Amino acid sequence: MSTRRFLAVAGALTVAVSLAACGGGSSGGGGGDHAGQTLQVYLSKQSQYPDEQQQWMQRIKDEFRKKTGADVEFETYTSASEEQQKIQTSVVSGQGPDIYEIGTTFTPTAYSSGAFLKLGDEQWNAVGGRDRFVPSTLAMSGPDEADQIGVPFSSIPFVLVYNTQMFAAAGIDGPPSTWDELVADAKKLTQGDTYGLAMDYKDPFSPWKYIWMFAQQYGNPLVQGTTARIDDPTVARAYDAYFGFLTKDKIVNPDAVNWASADATANFASGKSAMFTMTSAGVIPTLAKSPVASSYAFAPMPTVPPGESALPAGGVPATTIVSGQNLVVASYSTQQDLALQYVDLVTSEAEQQHFSEVFGVLPVNAAAADAVASGKEQYAPVLEAGKQAKPTPFTGAWSEIQLGLTNITVQALAGLSSGSVPPDQVQRQLTELQQTAQTAVDKAAAAR
Amino acid sequence: MSLTSPTDRPPTATAPTGDVGGPVGAGVRPAGPTRRRQGPLWLMTPGGLLLLVVVVVPFVLALWMSVTDLDQYTLRQWAGAPFLGLGNYVEAVTTGPLLHSVWLSVAFSVLTTVLTLPLGLAAAFAAHDRFRGRALVRSIFLIPYVLPTFVVGTVWRIALGPDGAVNTVLGSVGIAGGNWLIGDRTFWTLVLVDTWAAWPFVYLLCLAGLQSIGREVHEAVAVDGATWWQKTVHIVLPSLRGPLLLAVIIATLHHLNNFTLPFVLFGSPAPDQVNVLPLAIYSASFQTFRFGLAAAMSVASLVLVLIPLLFYLRAVRLDTGLEKGAQA
Repeated sequence: MSTRRFLAVAGALTVAVSLAACGGGSSGGGGGDHAGQTLQVYLSKQSQYPDEQQQWMQRIKDEFRKKTGADVEFETYTSASEEQQKIQTSVVSGQGPDIYEIGTTFTPTAYSSGAFLKLGDEQWNAVGGRDRFVPSTLAMSGPDEADQIGVPFSSIPFVLVYNTQMFAAAGIDGPPSTWDELVADAKKLTQGDTYGLAMDYKDPFSPWKYIWMFAQQYGNPLVQGTTARIDDPTVARAYDAYFGFLTKDKIVNPDAVNWASADATANFASGKSAMFTMTSAGVIPTLAKSPVASSYAFAPMPTVPPGESALPAGGVPATTIVSGQNLVVASYSTQQDLALQYVDLVTSEAEQQHFSEVFGVLPVNAAAADAVASGKEQYAPVLEAGKQAKPTPFTGAWSEIQLGLTNITVQALAGLSSGSVPPDQVQRQLTELQQTAQTAVDKAAAAR
Repeated sequence: MSLTSPTDRPPTATAPTGDVGGPVGAGVRPAGPTRRRQGPLWLMTPGGLLLLVVVVVPFVLALWMSVTDLDQYTLRQWAGAPFLGLGNYVEAVTTGPLLHSVWLSVAFSVLTTVLTLPLGLAAAFAAHDRFRGRALVRSIFLIPYVLPTFVVGTVWRIALGPDGAVNTVLGSVGIAGGNWLIGDRTFWTLVLVDTWAAWPFVYLLCLAGLQSIGREVHEAVAVDGATWWQKTVHIVLPSLRGPLLLAVIIATLHHLNNFTLPFVLFGSPAPDQVNVLPLAIYSASFQTFRFGLAAAMSVASLVLVLIPLLFYLRAVRLDTGLEKGAQA
């Protein structure tokens, strides 16, 4: 028993290191004839569409063999921690998958590890050139155009979804264009147990996106050069507005302090909320099976921040982060040319259009995006939001900042549910986070 | 459980004294046991090697990581991560969550252990005597213990939700349940759920202890005309001392190291009230990629675990002492 105690504690962290010796290896070779080679691809599991994903994998395998003669081996992850472990193990051991699919907000961390292939003109040309992609999706490929590692693969912009029937019944013409207008509309739509706005205060990701969005609109990018600006008054103001939807404006169901994104979606789908912000086209399958199936529409979120009638000087009309998945090629891979051929295949117009149709995400391929937009009117506002997407700060410090911003909301949930969040509590946490963030930003700057 | 039933144990070749009357001849008695003990030491080689690979190497690596600045920037060239000395430890204590998390972990472990003890003991007493349906009751008692922690966490997270089963039941008797998974109450939620999941462990050890009390002891007590209370206080509980001590120590270690339950119940970042050490280490390691800092906190948690562990080792030796006494 004592040995197992030791192992549980001491081994928990070193497991990545000790596993290094037995990490999965990719086959060697490279260049020339690709027959007999196997490319390993690590990607996220499409839990909503398991059968479709199997079929898609087979399709890609067939296409890739036709094109190069090589085989593709897919491995999927279901959680961020699973993905982390795989990447860390592979980075330490220098062997593992050739290609990883990673989220846009994790890309700065991946970049800072130096473990992924940098894309120069030659590499970009091998995957169809930068022009192939919707320009905004390239913003999270690297810190600047000369230093990029990620090739966009899918786009999942965040938008507002609203109940057209409830809007019409309340005499509201269309989606709001400022946040104050949104609050005013939501107040009109709040009656009894029906609320104007659904919120996901307990989601592990959504909260920081609101704070980032409001801060941007107020003119604060959170990280400016090598300075963290978390203790800037605009951030406190962002939290004030974000919590205020529930505590002051009373346009949000008090139960929302216990809701993650899926719970808020379910509430909107049941017709108990007139709007839901910071959602994506990924909710379409849920809504299609719900009572609101024929009475919802998407719109970009408002670009004028709470308490303002126009965008403040220096403000950025940001609504959605550049969200979605990037593909990165491991720098230890011995078959990088082949890997780029895979990237070329899955980002081609035909494959992007197919992927989008099957899984409901948006194409990053510009031509495919146009084709999807012309086919489905529903998608047009989402695509528009995607085109206007703004990148989150591309710094290795971002994971720390993102977690800290979410943590402030987590600690505020009790106050939120009792009706008010003490402003000094938020201020104290912002002061602490400012220090942590600045240290992390300095470290990132020193490492570059 | 043989630790507590010395009288049942047949004399073995490794018995420390030969005067139990085994086949060993009187002439070889002084040299025999020593030679027999040292002879097969080489048999420990496979186990020793395994120990080296599974325990010593990771432990040394963790120690080494804890004094370096291993993070996302240095992971690739991990062997060359800058040496920080005690920097990570200082950071963990001053600006990190270490002290708060240690305090939470200790409070949580001790409270949970204290709560499970009477529950397990009472259940063992109830399930010890023969009655119709005893097998069924014993099986039901084990359900919380055999369920994977992940399942326990998921089920309770749903049950404790704002419209979950717990609040529905409380509502039916006119009590407003409120929030179990956010705010100040989360600590008690964690204690209660872990108590629910962990008491059968105490029950198991106690039941085994009860069963090791020989029939003849019960008969002798009955002949002496002792009441149930006298029997419980003077005979049964003292003989349960060994298993209870073991249960307390092992259970405390379990609670200290429980990552899955708080993670599934509250996620990460967790409310400050339940940011126990395993969650804090997870967050530092896998959410902000400060592997060195996380290793320092792991080493600190190892020290914490060592305290009940030393008690445990002592308790085991204590039992051997009793065994000698019983046999002498």
